[in-house]
Amino acid sequence: MNSYIEVQNAEMVFTTRKGRFHALREINLNVEQGEFVTLIGHSGCGKSTLLNLIAGLTLPTSGVLLCDNREIAAPGPERAVVFQNHSLLPWLTCFENVYIAVERVFSKTESKAQLRERTQAALVLVNMGHAATKRPHEVSGGMKQRIGIARALAMEPKVLLMDEPFGALDALTRAHLQDELLKIVARTKSTVVMVTHDVDEAVLLSDRIVMMTNGPAATIGEILSVDLERPRNRVALAEDTRYTHFRKAVLDFLYTRHGHVEKVAA
Amino acid sequence: MKTFIRAVEVWVPSADRTMLEFGGGLYGKAARFEAMSKTLCFGRGEGLPGQAWEQGKPIILKQFDGSYFRRTQAAHAEGLTCGIAMPIFAGDFLTSVLVLFCGDDAEHAGAIELWHNDPAESADMKLVDGYYGTTADAFEYISRHTTIRRGNGLPGMAWEAGLPVFVEDLGKGSRFLRADAAVKVGINRGFAMPCAVQSKQNYVLAFLSALGTPIARRTEIWMPDAARENLTLAGGFCESRGMIAASSALPALECGQGTIGKVLLTGVPAVTDNAGSEPAGLGRIATEAGLETLVAVPVITEGRLVAAVAWYF
Repeated sequence: MNSYIEVQNAEMVFTTRKGRFHALREINLNVEQGEFVTLIGHSGCGKSTLLNLIAGLTLPTSGVLLCDNREIAAPGPERAVVFQNHSLLPWLTCFENVYIAVERVFSKTESKAQLRERTQAALVLVNMGHAATKRPHEVSGGMKQRIGIARALAMEPKVLLMDEPFGALDALTRAHLQDELLKIVARTKSTVVMVTHDVDEAVLLSDRIVMMTNGPAATIGEILSVDLERPRNRVALAEDTRYTHFRKAVLDFLYTRHGHVEKVAA
Repeated sequence: MKTFIRAVEVWVPSADRTMLEFGGGLYGKAARFEAMSKTLCFGRGEGLPGQAWEQGKPIILKQFDGSYFRRTQAAHAEGLTCGIAMPIFAGDFLTSVLVLFCGDDAEHAGAIELWHNDPAESADMKLVDGYYGTTADAFEYISRHTTIRRGNGLPGMAWEAGLPVFVEDLGKGSRFLRADAAVKVGINRGFAMPCAVQSKQNYVLAFLSALGTPIARRTEIWMPDAARENLTLAGGFCESRGMIAASSALPALECGQGTIGKVLLTGVPAVTDNAGSEPAGLGRIATEAGLETLVAVPVITEGRLVAAVAWYF
């Protein structure tokens, strides 16, 4: 049986003013349906580039990407993206921000009442039902990000692609949203590919952690299977030796790589 | 100095290729085990060597009791608790089966891991099995949850190069991905070699050992020249002298010359219990370093010998 997302020998070369920049090489990655995969690595290692390839926002220089056995040639509603900056339209209410995404996907098959119902359900899913009439500048950063997640989930995507969704949030808000995301994914059974710099976030959320080597010509170095039982409780995991082992393994990878980067920079 | 590998034996096909016969061995103090082994032969699927032949891939056998292993009592009497069998194929042709033995006691720290990649299935190299001796659980736990890509980590480096790889200090080795866990359990040396199997599968055996019990007392990697008439020293490590550079001023070994040169000639591992008599200055080095025995192992890729590994004890 084929995987839900398949990245086969993907290469990404950007043409810049300084010449060609080989961003990604020999990327091979399979993601199963319902799996939560995080991409981790140092800045410039091509994590977001890989996510953009899966999203269809950019096309690979060579290689093939498939989602549900169909080639990824452009963005599509079955692959929703949540960015680090929430990307909400400031002149629309939170409800309207979600509604425009819902309308785009379901307007041909559902009535306006159904679209509104679907929008409200998505807001409730992320505990933002109370803020439906507020505009983005009236809510906190964490709330904005929840709206962004609600907008993505409201499209009922088969794949949720998240590019450091909690990177701009304070630690407590981030932890809260991570817990919320775990609950949402448990309910929706979504397939998730998420870019992160946060080792604890990666271990807490992931079924597998894809660790990428440094760029240029970055590639996947190692993949760690995190077989901790779900639902996961961050407090209980803090004392779980398995959690510590996974955390150390990721830190080891990143620490070693980071040392290399510093040497090169020096 | 004790070594993590405690005994080595070579099994070669009989003239009619129906059995594996004893082709030499180094048993250290395990004299009774040696005496028994010399009397045996194995059919395909029989005992550990026969199983490696039958399965066509390396085997790590950690539990002798109740298994197909035929020398359980003798092995236990000598403190040998794990056997690693490596069939060596030149294409479809089995040249030999190399068997290594380790012992599970507090004085022998280290690990031997078998990694596998099926190119038709995945880009990953996954752990098939591992023998971890008395090392802590953390290293094994992470190994079992890790998949490695070509060129990354010790097994990935050997896979990519298609050649043996030696890492003197895993803690400093920027490409060894489990360095932190390894150092914590006392593992500091790493050696990995691709295994010559019959199929288009990729297998790598990784040897990880601690300062007190190195894999062997001296490890050398020899490479054939383009004409495949000579072997030249490409590097290695000696526990008493440190890193061995490729430019060690040792002359090339001719095909068939000494125990190591014999490997280029035959594609079969070769042993000697008189390392001091090796040619081309090797014997003098062995004598000076107090090294008595030597096993040379061929590394074969696509039917051709690409390197020879020499372990001195």
